[in-house]
Amino acid sequence: MNSTLTGAVAVYLAQVRAELSDLPPGELEDVLDDVSGHLAEVAAESEAEPTAEALQDRLGTPRQYADELRTAAGYPPRAEQSSDQAGWPALRWGLIAATVGPFLVVIGGISPVFILLGLITLFGAAFFGVRALHGNDPRIVLETAQGQRLAASIRNLVDQIPPNLRHELVSIGQPVWWVARGVVGGGGFFALFGAGAVAVVGALAGAAVSVWIGRRTQQDRRWLWYVVPLNVVATVIVPAWLAFSFVGGSAYGLFGGYNDYRGSSGTDYAYASGLTMDGNRIENIYPFDEQGRQVKVRLYDQDGKPLKVEIQDCVGYWGTDPSSTRPSESNQFPQAMILPDSEGNTSADNCKDSDKAPFIPPAAPVSSPPTATTTPTPSAGTSTKPSTTPTTSPSASAPNSPRPSVTLTISPTR
Amino acid sequence: MDTSQLLKGVLDLAVLAVLRDGDGYGYDVLRRLRSAGLEDVADASVYGTLRRLFAAGALTSYVQPSEEGPHRKYYGLNKIGRDLLAESTKTWNHFADTMSVLLIEEAT
Repeated sequence: MNSTLTGAVAVYLAQVRAELSDLPPGELEDVLDDVSGHLAEVAAESEAEPTAEALQDRLGTPRQYADELRTAAGYPPRAEQSSDQAGWPALRWGLIAATVGPFLVVIGGISPVFILLGLITLFGAAFFGVRALHGNDPRIVLETAQGQRLAASIRNLVDQIPPNLRHELVSIGQPVWWVARGVVGGGGFFALFGAGAVAVVGALAGAAVSVWIGRRTQQDRRWLWYVVPLNVVATVIVPAWLAFSFVGGSAYGLFGGYNDYRGSSGTDYAYASGLTMDGNRIENIYPFDEQGRQVKVRLYDQDGKPLKVEIQDCVGYWGTDPSSTRPSESNQFPQAMILPDSEGNTSADNCKDSDKAPFIPPAAPVSSPPTATTTPTPSAGTSTKPSTTPTTSPSASAPNSPRPSVTLTISPTR
Repeated sequence: MDTSQLLKGVLDLAVLAVLRDGDGYGYDVLRRLRSAGLEDVADASVYGTLRRLFAAGALTSYVQPSEEGPHRKYYGLNKIGRDLLAESTKTWNHFADTMSVLLIEEAT
């Protein structure tokens, strides 16, 4: 009988049920059978589905209706005081726990500790819920001022939907939701611990349990205390899970993902390997001595590791002999670079390369005994002291300079 | 005088009386009471009375499908119910006679 009631009528019935929730279960179901029949008759009298206001005009508030019923049927008066005083603090904490718990589970991606905390909180919510209920209906929540305001606004929203569509939505959407929630819940839970096959079985079992709980809840609203927090979790996890599988992750990734990034070679940075300066790739180095003459050097870092770049001369670029044992990198600078022809092209059969700097180096600052050939201007130019200077080829050393310093000029990035 | 106050005391009797004419579901009983002139009867109190009489063993109850919608729960008198009706009718008649005599004496 209950299933034929929709909208405001169903809400009214549920409110009457809440008022009578202290009755023994058998008597409660019997009398509500009558009440739902009554409401169905009242609803059938009007053309359109009655609104909550129309029902109250006709029958009084749900509380008045329940009180009349209670008096006429000779039921004992409602034991309101005791259950309320015991129930309210538990209810408040239960609601807080039911709100915080799912949140903790969701941010559990940060650390499994949060998942554990969240689950404990949810169990706490269920415990407080049972305490608060103690014979009450979950609608006790709606009897608070905020609850009533929220319920009214939701009811207005629902009233916007045409009644027949509303009925379709509930009758089709509800089972779909039950199955979806069960599949994700059961599957996700087992996916945490086991392989794919276990997760599939878990998903099927979850769907079955979820449908069973859904049907139980329809009959006994006290199950809502367990179902509502679980639904909150599911409404967050279902979309998150779907989104996650769309971007190609897996359920495992949610909880183990953070380890994957640790120690990876950082492929996001294109120039993480090779020689760089300020994030720009160094393709070649043109060393000059103090007198501004280009010199040949081999470069090493502080650990004696050669500072190598890829060889970009004609042989290296066109790769005429792949079986060659010639290394693809070298720490000998300057390296020969391919010279484009007059039209800016390079070709395999007519390739020219040169190790001559494609720029004129700025004059070195005065840092050594002046010679006749240099007219130094103390401005730009980097000068490194010999402590960082690698071995230079003897021919490049100036004979009159006992400690030759080498000017490292970095070729501009193209 | 508010008849709803009076009704409270005699609703049992009224419900038993309309069921004497034939079994009826809740809304049917309500309609019969209304058409008999008891306009002020409250919907919920009729359903409550039916439950109480049923709990007291005065009524039988059975569900019957209806052609226009949900199943309906019918209530009918059994032996206890008929006895209760007869006894209550006697009590009422005696009470009503007493009241009538009292009111006539007061009026004169």
